[in-house]
Amino acid sequence: MALLLDSNIRLWVVLPIVFITFFVGVIRHYVSILLQSDKKLTLEQVSDSQVLIRSRILRENGKYIPKQSFLMRKFYFNNQEDGFFKKTKRKVVPPSPMTDPSMLTDMMKGNVTNVLPMILIGGWINWTFSGFVTTKVPFPLTLRFKPMLQQGIELLSLDASWVSSASWYFLNVFGLRSMYSLILGQDNGADQSRIMQEQMSGAAMAMPADTNKAFKAEWEALELTDHQWALESVEEDLMSRELDFDGMFSKELPSGIF
Amino acid sequence: MIENREMRDKLRKWREENCRNSEQIVDVGEELISEHASKLGDDIWIIYEQVMIAALDCSRDDLALTCLQELEKQFSDSHRVKRLSGMRLEALERYDEANKDYDAILQDDPTNTAARKRKISILKAQGKSAEAIRELNEYLEQFVGDQEAWHELSELYINEHDYGKAAFCLEELMMTNPHNHLYCEQYAEVKYTQGGLENLELSRKYFAQALRLNNRNMRALFGLYMSASHIAASPKVSAKVKKDNMKYAAWAATQINRAYKYTDTLKRHIVHLGGHAEAAMKQYPLPVFDSGWLVAGPRRTNAP
Repeated sequence: MALLLDSNIRLWVVLPIVFITFFVGVIRHYVSILLQSDKKLTLEQVSDSQVLIRSRILRENGKYIPKQSFLMRKFYFNNQEDGFFKKTKRKVVPPSPMTDPSMLTDMMKGNVTNVLPMILIGGWINWTFSGFVTTKVPFPLTLRFKPMLQQGIELLSLDASWVSSASWYFLNVFGLRSMYSLILGQDNGADQSRIMQEQMSGAAMAMPADTNKAFKAEWEALELTDHQWALESVEEDLMSRELDFDGMFSKELPSGIF
Repeated sequence: MIENREMRDKLRKWREENCRNSEQIVDVGEELISEHASKLGDDIWIIYEQVMIAALDCSRDDLALTCLQELEKQFSDSHRVKRLSGMRLEALERYDEANKDYDAILQDDPTNTAARKRKISILKAQGKSAEAIRELNEYLEQFVGDQEAWHELSELYINEHDYGKAAFCLEELMMTNPHNHLYCEQYAEVKYTQGGLENLELSRKYFAQALRLNNRNMRALFGLYMSASHIAASPKVSAKVKKDNMKYAAWAATQINRAYKYTDTLKRHIVHLGGHAEAAMKQYPLPVFDSGWLVAGPRRTNAP
């Protein structure tokens, strides 16, 4: 079905919506920077996270140190009476949104900066640019999509591929994500889909509450680890062929020899 | 214009690689700050920090003070700037005032690692190595992941001739950086210095590992030769162990000879090409050894 659209639509609808979306996104980014609250970590949290990292490294790379040293460290962590993982119990307060006021404000701030503008502007665009078709999506759609994508247009016979300005707006919101990364750098506050992803996965993470569980998991993992010394046959491996001295005396490697 | 950009790139490269060529940094940085300050934009603050630390290294107190004052004007309440002001007091040997600065930072933010490390350096500068070791141990109990600190502690222990504990610190470093041949080699040297058959065997293995990671590590090659010959010469070993170690030592010796021949051919090649033997020798210096090199001595690190 071929429709010829007034070129004024392109000039006064399509382009303004793109600009509006883009600038609102940039403003959102800066507002989120202003509203950002400092996350203060306690000394204990920092220390615990580093201990967990050390234990994990011991499991993964323990094979590079002598057997005695590995056993000594494993004993330090896992000893029945006073191993670190057995002995340390941290006070655990699960930070639910109701009890922890800072998390509540964080959530509110997230909502205000992201969802609210989207709804407001989407509604305004719908109200301003209503009653006409804006653009055509390049792929065919079923009739089910008509009420969703053709908000103000009451034409039964119109192809569902022709969409109204509100859908063009939403297309822009998601499409300009890569533009934001280009201009504002990675990790910018205007990236809505990333934020939505975070919200979904954040519910599943909740790490600081589970230090005890993390310790227990590490204890079990470390118990199971054995020491397979990587240096068992290092001399034989080394002597299987001549040493490669290429580039030994080149100016770019002042410390290549020593 | 071009010079400006070149200088900025050089400074950035040195910053990222943590080079300690303070005189060069002061030269380039001073010119950059005095001539092109307006063209630097926001980069100027990090350049101020870099030049200030280099100036302290070269005893250029005037330059350090100017940089510090600019930074304090811009970032009046910052911990990072406070640390720099503490470093300047350290350079002037006003250690008590510097300590007061760092304590103030720590009261505000107990997780600030930079302030703690500066306090430990003050103890080291004052020569109180036992206290420095104790403080560093406490620091490492809290921040087990800090590799710079582990290396510093291993150096302190080596200076105190406590090789067992130095080996422990180097083991931590080897675990976190399994592909770094320098840590393997330093560990092997510490084990060699400790002495005793078991430690000699370990040192031989770690010299071999360092060589495996980097075939060009001459120091490890010599270490392999010496530890293997030492074990072979020891009266307490079995015949098989003796034979094995003599084989390792012989192999190491052939490799050393090959390395020297390699430089010979290089030199002949260069002389043949241009006859500029002097320049060639300067460009490709031969490794120089004396008998005492294998005692694990303190190594200069590049940490600021």
